[in-house]
Amino acid sequence: MPRAVVCVKPIPDPKYWDRLSLDPEKGVLRREGIPTVINPLDKHALEVALDLKDRFGWEVVVVSMAPPDTLNTLREALAMGADRAFLASDRALAGADTLATAYTLAGLIKKVAQPCDLVLCGNMSLDGSTSQVAPQIAHFLGIPHITHVSKVETKDGKTFKITMDLKEVHMSFSCDSPITLAVTKEVNLPRLVNIMGILAAEAKPLEVLDAQGIGLDPSKIGQAGSPTRVRNLFKPEIKRRRKVIKGEPEKVVEELLNNLHQVGVL
Amino acid sequence: MMPEMNHEGFWVFIEQIQGKISDVGLELLGKARELADAKGTYVGAVLLGDIPHKEAYSLLSYGADRVYLFSHPLLGVYHALAYTKLIASLVKREKPEALFVGATPLGADLAPRLAAVLETGLSAHCVDLRLGEDGILEQVVAGFGGSWLAVIVCPERRPQMATVMPGVFKKPEPTKRDGEVIPEQVEVKESDLVPPVMEVKPKEKKTVALDSADVVICGGYGMGSKENWKMLEELAKLLGGAVGATRPAVDEGWAPEEVMIGQSGKTVHPTLYIGAGVSGVMHHVVGIQDAEVVVVINKDPHAPFFEVCDFGVVGEVEKVLPVLIKKLKERQEAQKI
Repeated sequence: MPRAVVCVKPIPDPKYWDRLSLDPEKGVLRREGIPTVINPLDKHALEVALDLKDRFGWEVVVVSMAPPDTLNTLREALAMGADRAFLASDRALAGADTLATAYTLAGLIKKVAQPCDLVLCGNMSLDGSTSQVAPQIAHFLGIPHITHVSKVETKDGKTFKITMDLKEVHMSFSCDSPITLAVTKEVNLPRLVNIMGILAAEAKPLEVLDAQGIGLDPSKIGQAGSPTRVRNLFKPEIKRRRKVIKGEPEKVVEELLNNLHQVGVL
Repeated sequence: MMPEMNHEGFWVFIEQIQGKISDVGLELLGKARELADAKGTYVGAVLLGDIPHKEAYSLLSYGADRVYLFSHPLLGVYHALAYTKLIASLVKREKPEALFVGATPLGADLAPRLAAVLETGLSAHCVDLRLGEDGILEQVVAGFGGSWLAVIVCPERRPQMATVMPGVFKKPEPTKRDGEVIPEQVEVKESDLVPPVMEVKPKEKKTVALDSADVVICGGYGMGSKENWKMLEELAKLLGGAVGATRPAVDEGWAPEEVMIGQSGKTVHPTLYIGAGVSGVMHHVVGIQDAEVVVVINKDPHAPFFEVCDFGVVGEVEKVLPVLIKKLKERQEAQKI
């Protein structure tokens, strides 16, 4: 059975980002009490896999690296229709940058989903927005990658036409061997979870593995395996005049134009 | 652990698409020049493509001391694995201390793979690059929609790699400078290009004057309708500016994605920015932080934009904009006399 692996990232619900605060001792953002959701683009990646499952009988495996309190997001992925889900979770994985994250996820994929024909990711995460993990997973798996994928087409589930959206051009590739794809929201419309899916998900395998269980090299994971460091974290400070003008339109516009004239931009 | 030794020079990957060099590479050459001068080292440019020698010389005038040129018909079209292999072996040979790549789709596809092959750090979509007191490159990135900024460093491994959004740095004025173009050996076969490229289709060209506009009029969700949007165009015309939009306005279909301003869109540097019906969420505001004067018009006096603007007009766009247009016309008429 051909197999697709979908990488899912739990992120703090963007609705509550104003509640994020800095932990001055650790130099990290406090996320406590903020619900986690699946990174929106990852649902598009999952939909590509579920479509292959529906049309050609592929198996769909979901993998993630996160603290254990994010399991709800993997259950949601199973409820959408994935077959199995695996979470890499371990204190030793904390502080990972994209390189250590990609090494960990690639290790998990090798452990639980080998061989795999497609690795699917969202093109970027809303919280970190790096877009770096997918090509780096591909590197550790020793397979090619294509990011900014706006179209995945196949007639037989074996040969794929993949369209990459560079700003100036569309490039299309012919793929018939394992590859990692990072998809944009143009690729499809993800399905919604229904009650049948939620009930079915309860019986599906959902497993948490630690670093040793995956067989990871301790020097390549977490902060130890991360070439980059966060030196400083801060709220952008924007210095502006902050002059508020209120009143009748005729009056406020006049005052605004006078002000703009005074500062020399009109 | 000490940084890997003997790494020297600030390098820039020069992106070309269909033979045309993208501006972001030139912008980065300007920044690399500044950093290299501060450290007393050289600037390297890496160019791959089906490119004539003389094209590569133009990069010297933008600040490069050395241009490493990989010219080959098979490199005319971008290919992740082929590009990565050639650049990685050059980097291993020449040992630059830093390598910058434009945070365009192409750059964002290439740089992570390259960093993984080189086993080094990479920061994404930087909004600033500077040298720390210890001489280490400080890479400023935005997270959580721009509401937080982080300074990222790569203390031990080299090169220090960063992708940078187009428009963050200004493209330098070309000047006559000395330097050399170094042609590199290219060993690439059609069968190396896995997966093979089927076709490359140019997208419909939409010219966007936004990048270099001196005045930017930006509409947000509060504009309310496509009909109201026309007022922005009229205002832009009066002030000789260009119209931009926020994400919600683009999602409503009032403006094309190409003119979206903010973290996932464009960064603009106008003298005057006027936001109409814009609430001022951080991921929009980071895209205009270099604007000299920021004006916002919004009916909600509690909109976050009022905290980070120069002049905030509390009022409905439907009422304020027509008056603004009328009065500007009057002033311009008066100036003609």
